[in-house]
Amino acid sequence: MEAKPSTANLVDKIVVPGDVVLDLSSMTNQTIKLGGGLRQECDSVSVIKAGKLRFSKPNKYWVESSQKRYVPCVEDTVLGIVVDCKADNFFVDIRGPTIAFLPVLAFEGGTRRNIPKFEIGSLLYVRVVKANPGMNPELSCTDASGKAAEFGLLKDGYMFETSTGLSRMLLSSPTCPVLEELGKQLSFEIAVGLNGRVNAESPSTVVLVSNAIMNSESLSAVQQKIMVDKLLQRIK
Amino acid sequence: MEVDRADGRNPNQLRPLACSCSILHRAHGSASWSQGFRFIQTSHFYHFNLFVFTSKCYFCYWVGSGDTKVLAAVYGPKAGTKKNENPEKASIEVIWKPRTGQIGKPEKEYEIILKRTLQSICILTINPNTTTSVIIQVVHDDGALLPCAINAACAALVDAGIPMKHLAVAICCCSAESGYCILDPTKLEEQKMKGFAYLVFPNSILSVLPEGSSLVQGEPMEHGIITSVTHGAMSVDDYFHCLERGRAASAKLSDFLRRSLQSKLPGDLSKAE
Repeated sequence: MEAKPSTANLVDKIVVPGDVVLDLSSMTNQTIKLGGGLRQECDSVSVIKAGKLRFSKPNKYWVESSQKRYVPCVEDTVLGIVVDCKADNFFVDIRGPTIAFLPVLAFEGGTRRNIPKFEIGSLLYVRVVKANPGMNPELSCTDASGKAAEFGLLKDGYMFETSTGLSRMLLSSPTCPVLEELGKQLSFEIAVGLNGRVNAESPSTVVLVSNAIMNSESLSAVQQKIMVDKLLQRIK
Repeated sequence: MEVDRADGRNPNQLRPLACSCSILHRAHGSASWSQGFRFIQTSHFYHFNLFVFTSKCYFCYWVGSGDTKVLAAVYGPKAGTKKNENPEKASIEVIWKPRTGQIGKPEKEYEIILKRTLQSICILTINPNTTTSVIIQVVHDDGALLPCAINAACAALVDAGIPMKHLAVAICCCSAESGYCILDPTKLEEQKMKGFAYLVFPNSILSVLPEGSSLVQGEPMEHGIITSVTHGAMSVDDYFHCLERGRAASAKLSDFLRRSLQSKLPGDLSKAE
């Protein structure tokens, strides 16, 4: 039953699908930006995915949640796996609802003569350029100005899959506690995709790094430090 | 209208509920939903001769379990639809796996009912030309199996992040000869009753709108009904009586579902600001 006071504010609370979070008829003359998890129905905004409702000034609302599948958004950097090569595009799997296309010319200095040859199964670090609903997303191996900027094939390393919430935590600034603690003792390189894929590269401790990252999902900062300390003691 | 139920519940009382999410590692979303107690069967092995007195305690065992438990797994959305599905919408595919035996007509019927119910709560226009697979595995069956499966499937869809208009809560009500109706029957009670109905209602929502502004034809949305499957014979009045009781109980189920989803969610995302 809808027994809530009329000025209830659901920001920073957990919401489930169906909850109505904004009443647009009382907010005239404002532009509001809705992010993932929210949908406008006539004069109200309701939730379509369960999660925590977030608000960022001046006018952005979104629902933050962590899933094992990815919803493609423009300007996200993701790790994709090549599944097929066609004349114009590479077909790349980015863990979304549809396969994404990577045009063969979307590389720095890319012309018809120097099309890169990717084998099926190779891991690429790419950027999402177009993500329209109902269409296959388009990717690119260059940044917005056309430079290579670390995009492209990831040759070595171990790739593992996590949830999207964990990959956002790994990419947050200041550095997330598990990466900081690991970095104090070990040297490793990781490439984190916002679609939940992480590629870890390290001369001898790649399994420890990947286990530490996978275990840190539901731990608080202090617990992450303790967990990393325990793991590191094993190799001493 | 007093009725004695075998496990001592009163007519409006549901069995204890338990729901856990994200239990399967590989599935994109998963949930288990159980209604009832699981009685533990202790073994005869604790038969020490020295402690004859203690070993007698271990002889108390109940055979069988009084619960219905269903495990639901969701995979998707994945690209592509089947031949006779509309490619302009997302499609949902349901696979029902019984506890024992081969898949037959009752399982196919459950699959169709579950598919129609889930299609009416999911937003199908968001990911066109994709398929979401929902796999239901029956772990124990002791009455009210289809409502338990619908609840588990709904929790699993939320866990997988499939966009939905609202949640669904399902309940089973049966009506007996003398006209009283009881909720959440066990299998024995289901078989004894004159008729029973599986009812699925939308969940109760939190809203910042002032009360009364989001009414559909004069009633709040929670008074709607998504699915109703009846077995046996009951009069129209009995059916409406069951509907009322079911609707009242659906508020409790809705609260329970909201709490179990809340307890699962905040763990991962508290910091990272």
